[in-house]
Amino acid sequence: MRGLRPAEWQLALPLALAYAAFFLVPLLLLIAVSAFDDETLTTAGFAQWRKFLGDPFTWKVIVDTVKLGGLTVAATALIGYPVALVYLGASARWQRVILFVVILPLLTSVVVRTFAWIVILGREGVINQTVLWLGLAPAPLRLLQTEHGLVLALTQIEMPLLLLPLLSVMSRLDPNLRDASAGLGASKWRTLFRVTLPLSLPGLVAGCMLVFASSTTAFISQFVIGGNRLVYLPLLIWQQSLVVYNWPLASAAALTLLVSVGVGVAAIAALGRRTRAEAF
Amino acid sequence: MTHGGVTRRQFLAGAAATVGAIAGARPAQAKGSVTAAMYPGTWEEAFRAHVVPALKSAYDVELEMTPLFAVDQIAKAQAARGAPPFDAFVLDPGPRVTAIDRGLFEKFDAKRLRNVGRLPAGMTDDWGVTVAAQVVGIGYNPKKLPRPKSWTDLLKDPWVSRLGMTGFQTTYGTVSIIEIAKQYGGSETNVEPFFVEIKKVLSKVSAIGAPASMPALFQQGQCDITYTNTQTVATLRGRGVDIDFVKPESGAVAFFTTMHVAKGSKELDNAYKYFDTVISAPVQTALMQPPNNFIPVNRDVKLAGDLPMASLDEMAKFVRHDWSKINPLRAAWIERFNKEVAK
Repeated sequence: MRGLRPAEWQLALPLALAYAAFFLVPLLLLIAVSAFDDETLTTAGFAQWRKFLGDPFTWKVIVDTVKLGGLTVAATALIGYPVALVYLGASARWQRVILFVVILPLLTSVVVRTFAWIVILGREGVINQTVLWLGLAPAPLRLLQTEHGLVLALTQIEMPLLLLPLLSVMSRLDPNLRDASAGLGASKWRTLFRVTLPLSLPGLVAGCMLVFASSTTAFISQFVIGGNRLVYLPLLIWQQSLVVYNWPLASAAALTLLVSVGVGVAAIAALGRRTRAEAF
Repeated sequence: MTHGGVTRRQFLAGAAATVGAIAGARPAQAKGSVTAAMYPGTWEEAFRAHVVPALKSAYDVELEMTPLFAVDQIAKAQAARGAPPFDAFVLDPGPRVTAIDRGLFEKFDAKRLRNVGRLPAGMTDDWGVTVAAQVVGIGYNPKKLPRPKSWTDLLKDPWVSRLGMTGFQTTYGTVSIIEIAKQYGGSETNVEPFFVEIKKVLSKVSAIGAPASMPALFQQGQCDITYTNTQTVATLRGRGVDIDFVKPESGAVAFFTTMHVAKGSKELDNAYKYFDTVISAPVQTALMQPPNNFIPVNRDVKLAGDLPMASLDEMAKFVRHDWSKINPLRAAWIERFNKEVAK
């Protein structure tokens, strides 16, 4: 605790204790439970790990889960970043309006937002009615229980997580830097890629990490919109822990999810650092 | 020291009054209370409306409910290891067998129930009492599809391309798949024929959904036929959805929802009073009415016209399953279902 006076680390103590009690201890329990061979936790061993990781289906599910996170991050970043640029150029009054619209979805429960997507993506939903009315397809498209339908829904559901850190960084950018870039003869695009983007990168990276972690673990959205056709790690954890009560296997799956998400988040952070290093 | 005009003394007085009010609001006047695990949704609402007041007026006992699905009750009780978070379980047959295997119930004495004589034979045993029946069959939209006759119709045109399915996660899903498998030569312990048949038509199936999302999928027209229970059909109909219930040719499936005393409960007497109230004729009649749509178990209740049987005894002819045989196989079935239907 070099450089911290006692009063400072004491302030962090309540949260640290809460983390220890409600995160670290359960995590250790999870690790301990996964090290049993049988469902009633009597014989220690790694049979469940061997069964879980030895099954090619598990690896397909891990890849699908990480891929879902990657696609959602790509979609939210692609749609969200232009919104952030609009925010950057807007007047203070419009900035408040944009911020309110961004936060708005957070005021509704994720369950409600997810079920609303059934109404939008369904066979007789808004999108399909429009497509049929415009004559773009002869029959209703299958959107529910497909990966692109799920990514579409998650993009809306997770968007605030991307935009909030991004907007907070954007609002602190010095407008003089952009003016200087323009004054030195850089085009708008050059200013965007050489000045604005590198400077806003920390916010974008933080947002992407949040979206990745949240979308790969979004059990309700994945199960309700993806159904049983799309199997991700959270569904396996739910089935094993709450339907067949095989807690060792459920723990192994939960730890696998934790590691997969951790690796994904670390990869996004590393990518952000490298891009930033190259930009300057 | 003041904060916004409030002195510390005023603040403490206010805090003490608040704590006092919360403590005083506890139901200290009643003879006692019982905490029951309760299925969220229809069950919880119906019990709040009918069982809570009936138990209070008959025995002066307060009913407190903890909303939990069957599987969550088992998980909680097991995690609590002898200090149950509730006194009474409400369970479907699969989780019931699991709970018996894992020693989560107190032994049950049916003689302590006044209304026990009003139940058909076999509704009580050493572990608990049956409080409601469920009848499973086919629900379909009569405006969009011809009336199906048997379980096998689900996998044939024109029905299969409008079919919505769930896997083995629920009791009704499991028994329906077993019944489909039986029509193709399978049995209670062999659902292999189902997997063979479903593989042939999988690309046509309209929806393979989360159990909780099935009513929404049906209501939205994502699927127009599904296996389901009479309660869901009646509830959807109450919301104006076009849905009819069909008893398949091979027979509808019946299973029972049972209640049990949690091992280590300190409210044994009140738990029995609670069970007795639930199975009493007035409560059973109220639970049968819309929007609750329960199937009663008390002989004194005059059955509603839209139920798939004229009397409770007719249910003896419905298809039943032995969950002590199904439970050990279920994990493998769930795994297999994931692998077969996942893209």
